[in-house]
This record gives sequence, structure tokens and C-alpha cells, in this order.
Amino acid sequence: MPFASTHNMKLRPTIFSLLALGIALILSLAIGSVFLSPAQLWETLIGHGTQVSNAILWDIRLPRTVLIALTGMALGGSGAAYQGLFRNPLADPFLIGVASGAGLGAVIAMSIQWPYSFWGLMAIPMAAFLAGLLTIFIVYSLARVGKIIPTTNLILAGVAFSSFATSLTSFLMLRSTNEVRRALGWLLGGASQSGWTAVLAILPYLIIGLGILAFSGQALNLLQFGDEQAQQLGLNVTRSKTILLIAASLATAAAVAFSGIIGFIGLIVPHVIRLWFGADYRRLVPLSIIGGASALILSDVAARVVIAPQEIPVGIVTALVGAPFFLWVLRRAKNQGYW
Amino acid sequence: MYRKILALTLLTFLLFGCAPAATPAPTSAPSTTPVPATATVPPTPTTITLTDGLGRTVTLNHPAQRIVSMAPSNTEILFAIGAGSQVVGRDEFSDYPAQVKSLPSVGGSMGNYSNEAIVALKPDLVLAAEINTPDQVKSLETLGLTVYYLKNPATLEEMYKNLQIMAQLTGHESEAENLITSLKSRVAAVDAKLAGVTTKPIIFYEVDATDPSKPYTYGPGSFGDALIAEAGGINFSVAAGITDQYPQVGLEQIVKTNPAIIILGDSNYGATPDAVKARAGWGTIEAVKNGMIFPFDDNLISRPGPRLVDGLEQLAKLLHPELFQ
Repeated sequence: MPFASTHNMKLRPTIFSLLALGIALILSLAIGSVFLSPAQLWETLIGHGTQVSNAILWDIRLPRTVLIALTGMALGGSGAAYQGLFRNPLADPFLIGVASGAGLGAVIAMSIQWPYSFWGLMAIPMAAFLAGLLTIFIVYSLARVGKIIPTTNLILAGVAFSSFATSLTSFLMLRSTNEVRRALGWLLGGASQSGWTAVLAILPYLIIGLGILAFSGQALNLLQFGDEQAQQLGLNVTRSKTILLIAASLATAAAVAFSGIIGFIGLIVPHVIRLWFGADYRRLVPLSIIGGASALILSDVAARVVIAPQEIPVGIVTALVGAPFFLWVLRRAKNQGYW
Repeated sequence: MYRKILALTLLTFLLFGCAPAATPAPTSAPSTTPVPATATVPPTPTTITLTDGLGRTVTLNHPAQRIVSMAPSNTEILFAIGAGSQVVGRDEFSDYPAQVKSLPSVGGSMGNYSNEAIVALKPDLVLAAEINTPDQVKSLETLGLTVYYLKNPATLEEMYKNLQIMAQLTGHESEAENLITSLKSRVAAVDAKLAGVTTKPIIFYEVDATDPSKPYTYGPGSFGDALIAEAGGINFSVAAGITDQYPQVGLEQIVKTNPAIIILGDSNYGATPDAVKARAGWGTIEAVKNGMIFPFDDNLISRPGPRLVDGLEQLAKLLHPELFQ
């Protein structure tokens, strides 16, 4: 086989992932609830589009595609990081409560009538973002034992706080029936705002968070040996865990703030990457970032198109499509123990 | 490896070919929509400037000729004031009058509208209501569309005001005034017939009884409550001292308050008087014992438009049949 050398083995996954991402991006721009023929698309791309096709391609599809791509990156990357951090195949970015906390923040904010201004419209995403980060802070403080952060404590505190936040959210939703529809739509996930505001708002947090995670592969690899072993191998375990938690939570909270809660991407994409390309976190995290973007973009295309002009919340599509897809991949690899 | 790339590329082309099957009626060519390009009211050059329910200033150069309605109540009002031919798109839930179903839908179920479909219809006015979020209004504004957000009325007077606002936006002021006059006289007629009423029955208006031991009803502050009072009845929520607008109440409270009439607002979703009689624990309620359980079209109360008066008349007939022969 001409591609058998180890040098090329490192490039192949990256090239393949970038290719998949490219195809997903093209599909997302080309397909939507209004049909634009390839000729119309080409005309619009080179600047000769009609007013309608320009609006659709540049003002609706492009910002949405970018926002969804960034969200997918955040979910995929932090999912891989959480799975490495907790050494648990069931870990996803919402394990320790970012989603529930953000949901609670958003629902509380929805019960207030904000003025129709720039900051008024940013109130709900900001409330979700801050509530998500606050949740991580609370869970972290609860789980801390002196100078160390036992993983089990993190999970327990996270799950307990998640349940608390979720039940409070449900209670609030039932109390204000006017807002139930809106809250439910937000909780099921999907990009609600047109335009570039959301993209610009979350970009700094994603750059910081995902940037840190992409270069944390070595630390994650060492953590797979267990906290004590990793400490003895020279890793400052507490500091690494804290940094990983902060980075992953920043990225997840920012992603959730505008796109609601989209499950399965953070859980399944790292597993698929692991099945195909191995469990080296130096490669797994960057590939999960790219893979997360592709997966979520494709889910969003399906969400927009399947029952057009209705749009299914993206979170439902990822669950419906993600689970069978993952089972298929798992079956194909049934001969290998991959975890 | 090559096979995977090939598969992905083929999939791309397949989807390109399949995309048309997933799209609905609206295309970028406006001549295919069933609405005639010229409206019955020739656009006048007057500028219309109004402040909408979100405090935004909305300006139109002439009465709107291509309107997309994002809520069923808006659609009903538009057709009631004679602006039906100026509507080019509607939300998924608009179903009255019957001819709106032939208009292209722009989404709306699960709270998601297709901005692409709205833009493709090239509207000169998009009418939002309180079921739409400020985010959605902002999104459409960012795309360069003119959006007017109509706040829900809390009283019949405010509903008449909304009719006038819609009339200004569409150039049907005189039709709206006629409609308002006729609505007011119908309400006055109901009030006159109920003037001498001394005994007002306690009404339980059932909005949702998916769990029959904890049904939802209308409370003080909601339109349902206001209409029940105007129709000469005492709303169960008021009799029981409940303060929430859309409370979920326990069966015990209903039994204790003992309403004389039960109105099934959820009959659109399959509730029937026989089913209510069969419910465990409901048998001791006076309304059930006397068979005074009536199905009702909740759309007449929940959609804030001219049909609220229809709802009032029907309620009054159910509550005081002897006065409305």
C-alpha cells in the first residue's frame, strides 16, 4: 500500500477529516428549505446573484453554517477532553452540569421582558453563558478535597447539581406557560439568530478554550494512567485538570449560549474518531474538533431540509441520527477492543 | 480510504439531486404564488409610521402588498379586514379562514420559522405576534425585512385597536371601522341581554386535561377569564381564589368549588363530554351530574382577533340559553 509509511499515517486522518468538513460546509451552503439550483448558487457565489439568493446564501446560510460549525467544534473538542479527563466512555461535555446550569440561566432570563436593544437581545445568551460557568465553578468547589480534585467527586457533584438545575428549570417552565414553547425550543437546540452577532460573540471563548484543548493531548494521554501514575510521570495533575476543565467549560458554555443544548455530538464524535484513528489524545482532540463540526453541520442540514419549511430542532436530529450511526460504527469494529 | 472519499462525493451529488424533493411551494419567482401581483387596493404614496409592540418604529412607504403572517391571529385579522389578497405567506398553524391553507407556509411549528422561505417570498411587511420571540424579529430585521410586532390585547378595546393598526398597515381603514362597529354592537347586544341576570353559574373551562386529576384552566388576567365574566359566568379560578393566568388545578379543588357548567376547550384535541363523565372522581361535580358539559372551539378564545366576539356570543348562549333563543 502506498500510504503505509508512518509519516503519511499521521496526515491521512487530518486530510480525511478536513475533506469531510469541506463537503459538509458545501452542503450546508447549497441546501436549505428554499431550493437554489447549482447554476443559481454559482451565480451568487461570483457576485451575480439576485436579491433573494444573495440574502439566502450570504445573510442566512453562511452565518448559520459558521455558527453551527463553531458549535460542533466546541462540542466535539470538549467531549474528547472530558472523556480523557474522566477516563469514562460515557462522558460528554454536559457531564458536570454546564448544560443544565445554562438551561436554568436561559429559562430564568426568558421570564423577564428585556428591552428590544442590542444588550436586551444578548441577555438570554449571556445569562446562559454565565450560568453555565457558574455551575462549573460550584461543582468544582464542591468536588475539591484540599488540593486535589478527585474525578469521582466531580462526577457526583456534577450529576447532583445537574438534577437540581434541571428540575428547577422544569418547574419554572411549567409556571410560566407563555414561555414554555420558547424555552423548550431553546433546550432542544438550534441556531436561532440570523447574522454574525452570535459568531463574533462566541469566537474569543472558542479560540481560547479549543486552543488550549488542542494542545493538551499529551496531558490527557498521561491522565489515562490514573492520577497517581500521571503525577509520578511528571504531570502536575491538579493544575492540568483545572486547566482542562476551564478550557472545556468555556468552549461548551459559549456553544450552548446561542445554540441551546445539542446532545450526542460531544459523546459520539470522539468515539467514532477513536474507533477509526486510535486513542492518542494528541490526535484525538484536534480530530474531534473537526469531526464535531462536520457532524453537526450535516445534522443541521438534515434538520432544515427533512420537513421543509419546518425546521426540526438540531438536538433531535443528532439524537435520531447519531445513535444508529454510532452503533453501526461500533459493530464494524466489534473485533477490536478500542477503549 | 479511496472508497470512503468516493462514497462521500457520490453522496454529495445525490443530495444535490434530492434537494428539490425536500422543498415546498415557494420558489424565488413570485409569479408562482397564488396571490395576484396587483392588489385590490392601489398603493397610495402616503408614508405610514407606527410604533410596534416592541417599541420599534416601523415605516412603510405605502400600504403593504406582500405580507407574511407569523401567527394565526394575525392571519385571521388580515382576512377579516379585507386584506386577504395582500397575504403571500403564513405560518404553519394558520387555518382560518379555509383559503389560507393554500398559501405557502413559512414554518412555525416547534417555534422555528424558515427565514429562507420568508425571504424568498419577498415580503414588504412581516407581521409578528407575541408567540414570536424578539430574536426572531431581530433576525428578520437583520435580513432587511420590515417587521411589525403586534402585542396581544388584554381587553376587547385593545383588540379593536389592533384591528385599526392592521388596517393602517394594509390600507383598509374603512373596512376595519365597519368591522369594529359591528363587533361593538354584537358585544352590546350580549351585554344588554345579560343586564338583568342575577344568578351567574360557576364555569370550569378546561384547557387541557391530559392528566384528569390535574387539568389546566384559565385564570384571572387571561382572555378566557375576561370573556367568561362578560358572558355572565363566574370563572372557576376566580371562585377558587387562584391568581395564576394559566393554572394547573387539582381535582379536589374542582369538586369542592362544584362548577355548574364544564366547557371543554380541549375538544379540538379529542375531549368529549362522555369521556369526562367516565373520569374517576368527576362524578360528584354538579356539571357532570346534570350533563352540562359542552365542547368548545378554543381558537375562538385563544386567538386574539375578531373571533373573540364569536367566542363571547357562544359562551353566553351556553351559560344563559334561556336568554338567547
